Amino acid sequence: MVFIPPFVPETFLTMYMPAIYAGLIVGFIGTMAIAMKREEIHILILTDLVGLAMIFVVSAVGTDLAEALILPGLVVELAETLAISEILITREMRKIEQDPRANLTRSSSMFPQAFSLDMEIMTTAPNFIALVLIGYGIFLTGFTGGAVAGGGIVLYAISKKARGLPVLLLDGIAGVSGISWCLWIIGFLLFFVAPQFWVLSLFLAACGLLLKVASKVGLIGLLMREDIDKE
Amino acid sequence: MDFVTLGGNLLGTIPLGDIVLYVNPFNLFLFAVLLGFTVLIAVSKPETQVEAAKFNTLDNAQVKVDEKEFRQRRFLSIICGLASAGAMITGDLFNFTLFMALVGILNIGIVSAVKQTSVLNSAFNYGLIAMMCSLPLFGGASIILASTGTLSLAVLSQMPASPMVVFGAILMLIGILGESGVAPFFASKAEMFRTPGSPFIVIIHLSSLFIIVRAVEILLLVLW
Repeated sequence: MVFIPPFVPETFLTMYMPAIYAGLIVGFIGTMAIAMKREEIHILILTDLVGLAMIFVVSAVGTDLAEALILPGLVVELAETLAISEILITREMRKIEQDPRANLTRSSSMFPQAFSLDMEIMTTAPNFIALVLIGYGIFLTGFTGGAVAGGGIVLYAISKKARGLPVLLLDGIAGVSGISWCLWIIGFLLFFVAPQFWVLSLFLAACGLLLKVASKVGLIGLLMREDIDKE
Repeated sequence: MDFVTLGGNLLGTIPLGDIVLYVNPFNLFLFAVLLGFTVLIAVSKPETQVEAAKFNTLDNAQVKVDEKEFRQRRFLSIICGLASAGAMITGDLFNFTLFMALVGILNIGIVSAVKQTSVLNSAFNYGLIAMMCSLPLFGGASIILASTGTLSLAVLSQMPASPMVVFGAILMLIGILGESGVAPFFASKAEMFRTPGSPFIVIIHLSSLFIIVRAVEILLLVLW
């Protein structure tokens, strides 16, 4: 019943079972790690790993039909990650709403007396460095750019928080996430509708990816703060 | 098993390229009932909830759903109803798994804007389980595809089940159980309902119920 074209090499056919085993083993390791770790941010990242194992198993089939299945699988996976991140963000917002002081660290100062460093560089330099990082990330575009820009956002958030100012980035991150999603989808659609504009659609998708990674790295920074405070 | 013995007389087929939708009374009935519920949800207003009085006061605390949250919830509930209705009528194995995953995401989305942190906590845990269970769900479907070469339920029901197909079907069953939040992971899903706005909360429950019924039919079609 199963039709395999004669020009498919034997090596590819024998790769199917190892690929499935690899996927299942990666999923098993991921779930074991989730069972051991208790911090929420680690669990979120490890769950992503289990989702990637799903892509393994689907892509092991290796036909054009399977290729058509990988994309919806990937989109579903991303959508679930986004939904869970939104849940976490909403929960953080509710917590801050109920107790605004919980946003600040409860650490004590190492100086015996009230001590304030009133230097201009302490307020301007972090903003400037964050701006440079975000600008450089935009220049890079794509995944690396997203990581660099996300680092800039984290630096900005941390420097603002160190001065005791409220960090109101949570709302913005949710919005940026949506915009990047739209950019990615538009770029993808344009690629099929008008293939002659492939450079434009590639850049749209790359910018979407940049924003997505940046917002995700920013989210990791904000969640890490909560986990560190817990200890 | 042939779908005529399971669902009654074949009323007709809708050929859409590779995917052939088959219509029989069983699927049509499930589809129509879910669409009816979706219409009911679309026109109804949210209910308010009265919490028990605290120790030192006599008046009850009323929990209300504000306008913005209500709109978001109604929209997501309607999409959730449509997605589960689609899962009832689809004739393609992978489309069923996609509808299933979509229902899982929408279930999280419906409660994503509530004010109770405990509800958000359980929604987070349910979402993690749903994400982990996408591995057996999609993996099982793809193993069935690899060992039979097709995803059409009409063709799959005519084939004898090989050991690989049985393995894929078992994986799919695990995925469906986790994704709809029944079986070993019910605690977090049950906690998700503890929030006002009943007509929209109920679709979370209803969609999983209907999808389980349909999943039983699909597994019978594939295995026998």
